[in-house]
Amino acid sequence: MTMVGDSIARSDAGAKVQGGAMYGVDHREVGMLHGAILRSPVAAGRIVSLDTSAAEALAGVYLVCSAADQPETMAGWVLKDQRLFATGNVRFEGEPIALVVAEDRATALAGVAAIALVIDELPGVDLETACSSEARVIHPDWQSYVPAGGEAADYPRRGNVAAEMRAEPAGVDEAFARAAQVIEDRFTTNRQYQAYLEPKAAVATYADGRYTIHTSVQHPYNVRERVAQLLGVRVSAVRVVGKTIGGGFGGKLDASVEPIAAFAAKLTGRPVKIRNTRTEDILTCPSRENAIVTMRTALDADGVMIARDVTVEMDNGAFSAEMPWLASLPLHILGAIYELAGPTRVISRLWYTNTAPTGAFRGVGGTYLYMALEQHTDHIANTLLVDRLQFRRAHLIHDGSASLSGQVLGDAGILAEGYDELERVAPWQQVLADLKPWQGVGIASGVWMTNPMPGQATVKMNEDGTVHVITGATENGSGALTMGVTQIVAHELGVNAANVYVTMPDTDVSGYDAGSQGSRTTHIVGRAALDAAIEVKRQLFDVAANLLEADPADLTIVDGRVSVVGSPAVSIDIADVANAALWTVGAVAATSSYTSPAIPFDAGCGSGVLFTTMSTPTYHVHMAVVEIDPVTGRVKIVRYVVIQEVGRAINPVGVRGQIQGAVTQGIGLALYESLRIGADCRYLERSLEAYRLPLALDIPEVEIVLMEHPDTNGPFGAKGVAEPAVVFAPAAIINAVSHALGRSITALPVTPEEVLSIIEEIEGEA
Amino acid sequence: MMSVSLNINGRDRSVNVDGADTLLDVLREQVGLLGTKEGCVEGECGACTVLIDGAPVDSCIYAAAAAGGRQVTTIEGLARPGDYSPIQQAFIDGGGVQCGFCTPGFIVTLTALLRRNPDPSRDEINNALSGNICRCTGYSQIIEAALLVAAAATSTPTPAGAVAQ
Repeated sequence: MTMVGDSIARSDAGAKVQGGAMYGVDHREVGMLHGAILRSPVAAGRIVSLDTSAAEALAGVYLVCSAADQPETMAGWVLKDQRLFATGNVRFEGEPIALVVAEDRATALAGVAAIALVIDELPGVDLETACSSEARVIHPDWQSYVPAGGEAADYPRRGNVAAEMRAEPAGVDEAFARAAQVIEDRFTTNRQYQAYLEPKAAVATYADGRYTIHTSVQHPYNVRERVAQLLGVRVSAVRVVGKTIGGGFGGKLDASVEPIAAFAAKLTGRPVKIRNTRTEDILTCPSRENAIVTMRTALDADGVMIARDVTVEMDNGAFSAEMPWLASLPLHILGAIYELAGPTRVISRLWYTNTAPTGAFRGVGGTYLYMALEQHTDHIANTLLVDRLQFRRAHLIHDGSASLSGQVLGDAGILAEGYDELERVAPWQQVLADLKPWQGVGIASGVWMTNPMPGQATVKMNEDGTVHVITGATENGSGALTMGVTQIVAHELGVNAANVYVTMPDTDVSGYDAGSQGSRTTHIVGRAALDAAIEVKRQLFDVAANLLEADPADLTIVDGRVSVVGSPAVSIDIADVANAALWTVGAVAATSSYTSPAIPFDAGCGSGVLFTTMSTPTYHVHMAVVEIDPVTGRVKIVRYVVIQEVGRAINPVGVRGQIQGAVTQGIGLALYESLRIGADCRYLERSLEAYRLPLALDIPEVEIVLMEHPDTNGPFGAKGVAEPAVVFAPAAIINAVSHALGRSITALPVTPEEVLSIIEEIEGEA
Repeated sequence: MMSVSLNINGRDRSVNVDGADTLLDVLREQVGLLGTKEGCVEGECGACTVLIDGAPVDSCIYAAAAAGGRQVTTIEGLARPGDYSPIQQAFIDGGGVQCGFCTPGFIVTLTALLRRNPDPSRDEINNALSGNICRCTGYSQIIEAALLVAAAATSTPTPAGAVAQ
């Protein structure tokens, strides 16, 4: 019997190892046409002319369309500031200007090349320029934009400030005025590209007034809403059917090519496929934002931290996707790890720039915020001549500590337990004593969360005793559905996990789900599926009780048979029960929904706080040991330890895969990956050859210690697992590099070139 | 257009190709073998890896015309339908698969390695995989799958990564 806590193989592994899994980019329809998009070649400018006549004249071209053809509607996840095609102005390189649809892809691409486009180019506005407050306003009509949630949902924004969050408790300036010393750091981080291996693609059809879109996205309901907004139709006119997802990591939460494919399907009356080239994908993907973090801490004469002042400037890109909501993140991160003896002021601003819209990448801004906070913490400890680990332990939050939004963290003491676990597997003094020349060690720790958004699952028992779980949730590769939800349902119903099938999402069929984001699927959808399974079990027991002439309360299911507790000989196959039910109470099935309970917070904690609390918090301690090659500047990870609270590990092999993979993405952000924005606001890295991703030979075997404090709401105690390890890895690694070099590191990533320039600087001083 | 005869997964067949057509295009669009994936079209990610006369190549930058007279093995040709080769089984058992988009390329690459060197070290596996990018797993469980197959092969007479056909 396969149960919760077992490392069963994921249910989709067989097709995936045989090449049989069909991804979004693999989908095709009979009579399908191919679309290719003319994208803005510059970051900013005014469209002077767009002559598509040569493209229209090409043999095999069915359609050329652009802003002149589009519906008069605005769209956006949080703020409606977007159109289908660039209208009058272009605001980032890669912005769609026109579409060519042809009988094959080569002809469509030739059509795009034949379009004569004239743009009066303007100087692009980047983050530094935007922050200077003298920059050109990128959206002169910003005041007319309406939040997706309606006028009442509006939030602080003005001009190029796409969102602003301010938490300004009393006494900060006074504390700085009386400080004995002030520790100050300024950190920068570059963008990080999700670099999922499957570039975005979609196939759309149109019939009977409705659009059907086959695509591999993490959040089908969100894509459905965006398509409906952009095309000016109600959401039920759009059906999104999920395909196997070739990785997403946040980059496939919002629509990309889907709305344009749908628009073209209606205009041509034929199925239309659009797929990104890798370069198009890089240019338009909602990458992790670049940002500037300034952090000041006031210390009194005894070295006590009496106040902190933090400003975070985040790059929104040319349009607002999910980012206005994420602008609140600094408030949560900066107060939820070390306690100060005084107030913390946090101001975060999100800036419109002439760059691709940014968005969620696993761990979102937590990556660079924790890097800044932990490097700053090392700076303080080193200044005070206190051991870095001791300093952390002395200031850790504890059970009942409150976050800066006033959320009481009832179980924050798990953090100290994490440090105890670290000491057990990597005794600190021993680690320090064992360091060789050019080696350094770094620690990072803190709290992360489990996305609370709603999800629904239907569990139905088939006449052969197998089980279907119908859900709009998506299997992005994490195993949340093919291991987590599968095992949860199998466990509850007493059937083999091999007899549980989780469907692909289909917004016409499956209930609402908020997508694979923020480690929520196992926790939220797992809970919904568990509740539905409990009801299915109740229905089965009611029917079986009659057949077995027993009390339902005395029944159990073992290995697919319903039996009387204590009398295993009195039993019946669940298939027979399910069949009997058809002719009495009806088919055995149940639907349940779940969303995390609202958490009390202090409404007066600040303004513009769009997301207010950290749901289902988890606690984490990471340690990295690195070795620097002073000749090449290469940083090798010698040892990496993760202590992670998971609630309950539903599938230990799966949990390990999530942590190992997340640390690897953190190593990428810390040491290699950098999507740089040039002086013309265009990306410098435009291919996987130029954008350096971690390879097998870069990555250590991560040592993992799981802490399990079951969550009362989570299915069998499970909390979010997939995201947190990427959040803390850059911080631990940067602190280790900083320790090895004896220098502050103030920019992510620290590439070999950066390391060499720091070494040169040190040698120059010597 | 020219006609090219080649052997794909044990079957002889002819395809009509343009000089610019890549082997990947022909496999996916003409032959209908969609298991070989397109990730970058610049020979960087390895998702399109196939075997040509037993050696792994990036089919996205390999001219289809150059495959004439050669044996091409794709992910679909590594085991009988419904069956798994040892490295495929090891990926399933050990968590070597997440999103799976890179998986065909990794399995083809490791199949070639294990045929050439049935008992590779971790470093040899890492080097063999230097042309394959996985964004999900962090590589450990993939490397362990290869080590598991190697360990099994050196303790039994069955050749590792054996082709079923």
